[in-house]
Amino acid sequence: MELSSTDLGLAARVQQLTKTYGAGESAVHALDGVSVGIRRGEFTAIMGPSGSGKSTLMHIMAGLDAPTSGRAWIGDTDITGLSDLELTILRRRRVGFVFQAFNLVPTLDALGNIMLPFDLDGRRPTALERARIDGLVERLGLTARLGHRPHQLSGGQQQRVAIARALATAPDLVFADEPTGNLDSRSGREVLALLAAATREHGQSIAMVTHDPVAASHADRVLFLGDGRIVADKARQSAEEISAYMLASELGTAAPTTAVPVAAVATAQVAS
Amino acid sequence: MTALVETPAERMPGPAASTALRRTPPLPWLRERGMGGSILVAAISSAFGAILLSATGFIGAMLKANPYIGDSETLAVVLVIMSFLLIGVAVYVASIVTANTFATVIAGRTRRIALLRLIGASARSQREEVGRQGLVVGVIGAGIGLAGGTLVSWAGVVLATRLLGLDGLDYAVVQPVLVIPAVVVALTTWAAAWAGSRRVLTVTPLQALGGSVEASHDAVARRGGRNGVAITLFAIGAALLAGGIVLGLLSPLGVVVAFFGGVFSFTGLALGATLVMPPVLRLVGRLFGRSATARLAAENALRYPERSSRMAIGVVMGVTLVTMFAVALETVKAVMIASGDGEAPAEMTTLVDTFAAIMMGLVAVAAVIAAVGLVNLLTIGVVQRRRELGLLRALGVSTGQVRRVVLLEAAHITIAATVTGLVLGIAYGWAGAQSLLGSVAVPPSWSSPTLVAPAVPWLPVVIIVAATAVLTLVAAVVPTRLATRVAPVEALAD
Repeated sequence: MELSSTDLGLAARVQQLTKTYGAGESAVHALDGVSVGIRRGEFTAIMGPSGSGKSTLMHIMAGLDAPTSGRAWIGDTDITGLSDLELTILRRRRVGFVFQAFNLVPTLDALGNIMLPFDLDGRRPTALERARIDGLVERLGLTARLGHRPHQLSGGQQQRVAIARALATAPDLVFADEPTGNLDSRSGREVLALLAAATREHGQSIAMVTHDPVAASHADRVLFLGDGRIVADKARQSAEEISAYMLASELGTAAPTTAVPVAAVATAQVAS
Repeated sequence: MTALVETPAERMPGPAASTALRRTPPLPWLRERGMGGSILVAAISSAFGAILLSATGFIGAMLKANPYIGDSETLAVVLVIMSFLLIGVAVYVASIVTANTFATVIAGRTRRIALLRLIGASARSQREEVGRQGLVVGVIGAGIGLAGGTLVSWAGVVLATRLLGLDGLDYAVVQPVLVIPAVVVALTTWAAAWAGSRRVLTVTPLQALGGSVEASHDAVARRGGRNGVAITLFAIGAALLAGGIVLGLLSPLGVVVAFFGGVFSFTGLALGATLVMPPVLRLVGRLFGRSATARLAAENALRYPERSSRMAIGVVMGVTLVTMFAVALETVKAVMIASGDGEAPAEMTTLVDTFAAIMMGLVAVAAVIAAVGLVNLLTIGVVQRRRELGLLRALGVSTGQVRRVVLLEAAHITIAATVTGLVLGIAYGWAGAQSLLGSVAVPPSWSSPTLVAPAVPWLPVVIIVAATAVLTLVAAVVPTRLATRVAPVEALAD
């Protein structure tokens, strides 16, 4: 008999996952036989340079994309054979998302965004859930912002609304994809501290994809991906240790994104 | 060092950048969503013009050839004036639709324009490019319409000659006059594209670097001046309408006053669409309930109040005109019955009904143009919302729910527009009939003046409502297909 995720204490896991784009000689193996579990009640960081397959791994784990082969579970549910509608409902009820940018529905105010998973299910939150949401809103400092629309909020506030929405349904697992990528370092630290606190205080399982060693240093566990494989699995690390490891293993540190030079050009333009 | 030497070349303003872009296939922008629809709008208007002018020309020739009617110069002139009025209405609706389409297309190009601005293109050169695109769209559309319209006219003339047995009648279909509507359409399309491209001037280079969130509501620019003009026009028009009805109780000339009242008040409404339509849209949105899909749809329809208002106002015009003729002629019958205190003569009724049917058919072309614009804009709206739809799918919105959102969005606009159009059409139609015939006495009882309530014929209303329902479904087909095909991962990766 196969062990279930619950027996293993896992919130999600994948087994022999491969994802191949294209065919023949031009085929690209984004994931190459990955087997890994995300432990329940832990804040896990998935690290790796661009093209290492970390986003693909997250997309498949979250039921946003289908693997070429292998299996994936959310809790005890094998999601690899689910229909589009079943996956949609699974994401709605059992998965939370915090993306790098464009997290919120622009036409809904902050509260509308937080309540979206319930509204889509056509139900009102129970008293217990309501209390949880109120607690989250207060903890995240959003009480005064509930009636604001996304474009009236700062980047940090938008990410906090996204976190509130992701945590509202107490999902099996929250996926965070570069949640601090668009934030200044102070707002970024706040967001990371909030995610870590959700794990500590509510036992929320979180998987965060990032290429930033500083962000990864907030996690309880760091998985390193390179060329579509898990190359290391380490307990909590400092940012320096993570950078040192990535340099040593030639995974490369966080490659500067294209935004940097463009921003520099813009500043020059504005100045001139 | 080489990089430094090359810098000046990169800074070359507008023309250089656009030449570079245009080196790839000819007019690649024509494939952009919305352009095909704009060409269709221009083609319909220009074809309508050609067909209408051919029809009046043919009828004129027919009358001239008929020895029993004799001098019918006046009738022919009246027919020509009426065709030009009808073409004017079609072109007017088409311009609004086209301006709106271009404004929407440009909203979607913001990032690209900003990038070109960043590289050094001037806002003016960017806008001029949009203007040129408008001219190309107009010329292509008008050309297609002219050719198609002439062909249909030729077939119609051949058919009519044979059916009516007018073998002696020699009518040349291809006439220089048919080019007039085509030229007008090409020019108005150009002008409409130019008017719709105003927004290019407000794009800043910084927008290329863009924050994470698009401003979701058009800051409806302070347009106090324009709104003031709209309100003034509407007030004057309403006063003239009321005056025309009162005067109509004394003399048939009341209809002239009422006519200008109608033109003024309706122009006021069209100009002030952004004042009138959003409250109606909001009201309709409330009818849909509070479910997540209904709320998303309702909010979307109001996201760009200006865009939705103009999308709706085209349909409002079509519905108003059709309803107006239906109600006017039904009310004419009612007035005659009230004045004569008996049945309206059968031949009179038939004549009035025929005239009503023809007029309704002719103004319905404006409604068709508005419908094309609606389909076009809904589609662009979905394309521009790809990323948002991806997000919604990731968060657990099923494809069925996406379909419902898009359908409700279309229904939102069509219902708001139809209700507004029906109300306006009933008011205008009644005012027209009442101001024309309020003073006229009819046998046998010759009572005058008569004041009747608006008579609303049920058949045209049923047809309008049914057509709206069909329009809603048709308008939602393409956008729904596009929207449900958005894969969450793909959209989020952009």
